[in-house]
Amino acid sequence: EPQHLGPAVCSPRRRRGARVPRGRGGSGRGRVPRAGPGPLQELQPVGERRTMEISHSVKERTIAENSLVILLQGIHGHVTTVDLRDESTALGRITNVDAFMNIRLAEVTFTDRQGRVSQLDDLFVTGRNVRYVHIPDEVDIKATVEKQLQLIHKVRYFGGRDKGRKEFPTARHK
Amino acid sequence: MIFGCYQHGLDQMTDMKQQTTNTVEEPLDLIRLSLDERIYVKMRNDRELRGRLHAYDQHLNMILGDVEETVTTIEIDEETYEEIYKSTKRNIPMLFVRGDGVVLVAPPLRVG
Repeated sequence: EPQHLGPAVCSPRRRRGARVPRGRGGSGRGRVPRAGPGPLQELQPVGERRTMEISHSVKERTIAENSLVILLQGIHGHVTTVDLRDESTALGRITNVDAFMNIRLAEVTFTDRQGRVSQLDDLFVTGRNVRYVHIPDEVDIKATVEKQLQLIHKVRYFGGRDKGRKEFPTARHK
Repeated sequence: MIFGCYQHGLDQMTDMKQQTTNTVEEPLDLIRLSLDERIYVKMRNDRELRGRLHAYDQHLNMILGDVEETVTTIEIDEETYEEIYKSTKRNIPMLFVRGDGVVLVAPPLRVG
């Protein structure tokens, strides 16, 4: 089970310390397994939009599938503004959203409550601290949600009908 | 854009089995009746939203379109000690609202 990080943490430019290094974005656990033989998909460089990563956790998949968080997972890769509960705002590219609405952003312009602006390479916001997420105009909400649902179903039914350990073993309908 | 209630999973959106019930059985069903209508949302910290409801879920996470957010602050005049209500508005084309900030959902108020 992936461990969830503590309260919102900012990483100032050039002082990475123990931060997750670039190119991983803390989502090593989120890769979708490919059907058939072959290695897991290589992580794409952080400069480009990465593919949507479905959580490896059954619990997270179920929570995401049954709430609107799935839309936030779908706008992964877009540049948006996240308004936090304490009136600060973070404008950046969404790199990961989990089922608890914890959001990880890259290349962030962070405006704090007092209006001070700072640039951050990487920002993690705890789900509880999110107030709003601005949805970019170019996002088609219905299509995004359907695509995310399809990805989850692909992971769930991986291996085909008679192979693999089933997520819902006694399910009689799809 | 009508998405429907998420309590029973999002399957109905993607045309897989699961019917949406048309009767009003619980409070969340009343919100379902307001889908694709303009609504008024009162939020914590003296905020109000007016917008078109596109989607909601059991946590009251909502997607609102063409939304106007009003933040109300009260200033006390130093000399007269009267309360001055100030409000700041802003418009956002499409907004995802986290449910734990929502206090109530209603049809838009008619300014009387």
